[in-house]
Amino acid sequence: MTLRHLLGLDTRADRYAYGTDPTSGYVSAQKIPDRWVATTCGYCSVGCGMFIGVKDGRAVSVRGNPDHPVNRGLLCPKGLAEHHTIAAGNRARYPLLRWNGVMTRVAWDEAIATMAVRFRDVQERFGRGAVGVISTGQLVTEEFYALGKLVQLGLGTPNYDGNTTLCMATAVAGYKRSFGSDGPPGAYEDMEQADVVLLIGANIAENHPILCSRLRANPGATVIVVDPRVTKTAILADLHLPIRPRSDLALVNGLIHLVIEHDLVDRDYIARHATGFEALRDSVREYTPGRVAQITGLDPELIYRTAAIYAGARAAFVGWTMGVNHSTKGTETVNAINNLALITGNIGRAGAAPFSITGQCNAMGTREAGFTSSLPGYRKFERAADRAELARLWNVPEERIPTARGLAYPDIIEAVLERRIRALWIIATNPVVSFPNLGVLQQALESLEFLVVQDGYHPTPTSEHAHLMLPAAIWGEKEGTYTNSERRVSKVNRAVAPPGEARADFDIFLQLAEALGVRDELFPGWRRPADAFGEWARVSAGRLCDYSGMTYEAIERYGGLQWPFPAGADPGETRRLYGNGRFQTEDGRARLIPTTWEPFPEPPTPEFPLVLNTGRTVEHWHTRTKTANVPILERLSPAAWVEMNPRDARQLRLKPQDRVDVVSRRGRVRNVELRITETIAPGQVFVPFHFAETNANQVTQSAFDPISREPNYKQSAVRVERATHTPTKHRDSEAPRRNSKTLSRWLGGSVFRGGRR
Amino acid sequence: MPGRAPGAGEQYRFHFDMRKCIGCKCCVVACNEQNGNPAAINWRRVGEIEGGFFPDATRAFLSMGCNHCLEPTCLSGCPVDAYSKDPVTGIVRHSADACIGCQYCTWNCSYGVPQYNPERGVVGKCDMCHGRLTLGQAPACVAACPEGAIEIEVVAIAGWRAAAEGAVVAPGVPVADGSVSTTRITLPEGLPPDARPPDLTHVSPAHPHWSLILMTVLTQLSVGAFVTIWLLHLLGASSGLGAGALVSLLVGGLALAAATFHLGRPVYAYRAFRMWRRSWLSREALLFACFSGVSALYAAWLWWQLPGGAALGAVTAALGLGGVTASACIYRVPSRPAWNTPATLVQFHLTAGILGPLVAAVAGAGSVRWLGLTAAVMGGSQLLALAVLFLRCIAADRPELRGTARLLSTVFARRLLARGVLLVLGALVLPLVGVASAPVGANLNVGPYTAEHALCAAALLLAISGEILGRYLFFVSVVPTHLAAPYLAAAREAA
Repeated sequence: MTLRHLLGLDTRADRYAYGTDPTSGYVSAQKIPDRWVATTCGYCSVGCGMFIGVKDGRAVSVRGNPDHPVNRGLLCPKGLAEHHTIAAGNRARYPLLRWNGVMTRVAWDEAIATMAVRFRDVQERFGRGAVGVISTGQLVTEEFYALGKLVQLGLGTPNYDGNTTLCMATAVAGYKRSFGSDGPPGAYEDMEQADVVLLIGANIAENHPILCSRLRANPGATVIVVDPRVTKTAILADLHLPIRPRSDLALVNGLIHLVIEHDLVDRDYIARHATGFEALRDSVREYTPGRVAQITGLDPELIYRTAAIYAGARAAFVGWTMGVNHSTKGTETVNAINNLALITGNIGRAGAAPFSITGQCNAMGTREAGFTSSLPGYRKFERAADRAELARLWNVPEERIPTARGLAYPDIIEAVLERRIRALWIIATNPVVSFPNLGVLQQALESLEFLVVQDGYHPTPTSEHAHLMLPAAIWGEKEGTYTNSERRVSKVNRAVAPPGEARADFDIFLQLAEALGVRDELFPGWRRPADAFGEWARVSAGRLCDYSGMTYEAIERYGGLQWPFPAGADPGETRRLYGNGRFQTEDGRARLIPTTWEPFPEPPTPEFPLVLNTGRTVEHWHTRTKTANVPILERLSPAAWVEMNPRDARQLRLKPQDRVDVVSRRGRVRNVELRITETIAPGQVFVPFHFAETNANQVTQSAFDPISREPNYKQSAVRVERATHTPTKHRDSEAPRRNSKTLSRWLGGSVFRGGRR
Repeated sequence: MPGRAPGAGEQYRFHFDMRKCIGCKCCVVACNEQNGNPAAINWRRVGEIEGGFFPDATRAFLSMGCNHCLEPTCLSGCPVDAYSKDPVTGIVRHSADACIGCQYCTWNCSYGVPQYNPERGVVGKCDMCHGRLTLGQAPACVAACPEGAIEIEVVAIAGWRAAAEGAVVAPGVPVADGSVSTTRITLPEGLPPDARPPDLTHVSPAHPHWSLILMTVLTQLSVGAFVTIWLLHLLGASSGLGAGALVSLLVGGLALAAATFHLGRPVYAYRAFRMWRRSWLSREALLFACFSGVSALYAAWLWWQLPGGAALGAVTAALGLGGVTASACIYRVPSRPAWNTPATLVQFHLTAGILGPLVAAVAGAGSVRWLGLTAAVMGGSQLLALAVLFLRCIAADRPELRGTARLLSTVFARRLLARGVLLVLGALVLPLVGVASAPVGANLNVGPYTAEHALCAAALLLAISGEILGRYLFFVSVVPTHLAAPYLAAAREAA
């Protein structure tokens, strides 16, 4: 604050000047870049093409790529402000090693050498599997491919999984069971070509807003939204089915029942391309409209109508996200959706697909090239031919290829608690916010001998537990490819240099490989992500996720390429899976899998009478490590809230804007603002899950899908009560630690509220 | 984007299609990026509207920039002519160079469009991306909307004026205030009849504007004192007039100095006189400037006990009362319903009426008896005005007035009580005690200081505190009309 400013002589006119950019036009002068770098958005898996504007080595702006087939120039609010994630104040800049309890800056060589020595030491004492690795859906495919080899063949531990298990493992497991392989079969274009779009547990207007433009482009389609809340997406729908929480499986089985009962099935398709129809028919017999109405709380007439609309469609699209996946019955629900699509022949055609809309920018990449729930290229651990093929491609002995997957994410945490895993490497994920029933995870992290956290930001609630913190480059600072939900591989490019000594994850992996003495064997001659891409394209050849016809250059030229893309494939063509009716099973036929609805695991009780649903808001991304650093997004969505129906609020004598606690058997979310609204059903409450300060996972449960191991984040039994205290730094020891900026804002807020009482 | 520029009798306007909006707020982010604004300033905002009952409930979103009104109140109130309505496009533009940061436009606009940027010391607002339109580019919000819910249209002014006057545009948009917003809003079919912003029940205290509290109360004290002194002068009093006038002059000067601290650009305070033909703020500045000059002359006249001077006193009183009137008229804006009442005028003058006689009494000018009685009558009226205002807010239908009542009866209940107590003690009880104990007789030229003067001094101190506290409550308890806002209190409080 200068005197000139105080007097009013200086209005910062330079900072607020405008100029004209040759591409983006008349705009704030500070946002005009020297050059635009083409890349793909690093938030969700819609995979929007965009440019980063770089000025003097800093990312100053972004704009959507009008020629990109996914988004045609559009971006969501997160994407529109994505450059702010790069220059954040809490970027990790230097490797830090805990020394007498204090994180101390060390050189990279020392950091990596320490990591190798500590991991090997733990493995020597407790076995190879005593090191666990939890990765992410946010690296580039080249990094996932390198990391998988490094962990499984270099470190030699099978206990490797990703945060993708918290997100879309259920879709993966469901696809594998139904079709013999992972891989969403449709394309976004299908949303424009379908005459029915059925969205189950998918709030795309909030979570994948750019996909909404596909619905707008298809005004003739009937949009049906199945969701217990009146979400932004439900409001867009022609038909909203406000089902009771987690009754989706009963509903889908009820639809199958009606479709079969009224002979609306595609007999020809079933006869030629599926097995198990009789068993399916028998299994859905009990799902009569009456019973389904009872379970779902829907009017039977609504169930009839939905079945008739879906079965009568020329092409029907089913999209789903976390409403289906976050469930102990998730995999079965995915199978039921696949069953419905298969018996009506709604797969492999324009507009017809059972389509999992994925969460993270490159969750698909780790599904394809990673080495967690399957071998790279959707190969199977248990299939000898697959193992032999990989061993040959990699020039390693066949015995080196594991024959079964290791522990899944929640089982790794359990193994840590049981001291079977002693050292953990967490890469680009923030479980201290995202893992269900947080107390258990925090206990696990505290019991580790050695925790390595590799992230673009520090401190994060997770990195604060680390013994070794490795600073990584993030989106905009490194090169590679992302695969989006419609299997489109898009290029990600480096626009600016990472801060301080932060390095691309790819380089960190190669350096660790070097320290472990496996670099030459596993990564011969590798220097750049392109080297990994070249090998991965060869390894994927002939597989469902065939990259062998792709080059970086072609990917950039066509705004991404959808796999399967063998050599000679047409880059302009929209690609779908199973168009020929041949599935990835041994006999080439899809499996119709009987499924059984069950009530959710934690029914409400008089003590905990409400059902808690969790979800997202458009302004934030997952655990807010990125979006909390974007001032405009924080401005638009600064804090969590609890949604409650007025009828419940009246009973609890609560008023709008009251501060409340949400309490379950496991914990308490403190001091959240109450939103009383008719968009939620009586008996249910909703809390967004992004906020570390008021973390919904303090009350969620440790219940997991038996097949996919995905957590049942939703439907926890809770009660809501008036907040009993004003949180302060000292008293709120249970809450995860938070950065001082957030804390001061929070305290500031509570002082203000105190003044108002 | 319209295919052509507006012709004669036409202008550009926004069309917002509420049916298409999914509440993603891309427009807000794009606007801030376009204009390089800090996160706390949003020239485009998205609010929420809710209605119906589960599961037939709905939530709609209202995205608004500037309405580029036909009769922009930001423009008509501006004391420095920083606003202009573009003759071709109809865009209401604001010049940061001309602006002195008085923020009067932020009160005048019923939609909360102009926003003060403390970093710059000036206000800023949506200019429909005038620079982009000129180059044939869509405004940032229009270009960023993934649903095509925001458009630029050409509107025929006369027809729109006829159709729009007095009409309720959409739930969540303040009722028409004569400014004639040009924004066209397409509502979803079947919006439930009870659809409204869900935040209506929530109010938060407004900014106290301390420099304005001091400025208004102290100028009123000064004016009240000069009017009293002039009247005493007319009635033939002589002792204490000079001292009283000098003190009043000093306080008035201090008050005007305090006012410049309210400006984002104090060095340009002199520009505030410019638009006296249409802006009450200019008139206030001009009248008080003249008042301070003339009152200085008058004070000098009295100090040196020059003969005559009653005419000078009359001019001083007239300018001062005019200034107080102009002050009060500043606050009579439709977007601040709690202020927009004749009672504001009454209250401001009563403040002068309470404090003026007490100042004169303390200065030893005039009879404590009559001065005390005058102050007490004024104090009683002020108490009555306060009660009437409070009851009016409680009984009102308008959510803004009810909000004011709620603020006064909850957050500010104790301060309101204290205000009442100070008023009763300082402007009623103590002056009346003074009246009762003062010797009978109309001796205008009392001699040495007596116990009554001490009593008056105490009364004056309490009364000044009371009026300052009252003015503080006046500022903080006002609830402006506003566009539908985000539900979360935290998101709104930053605004």
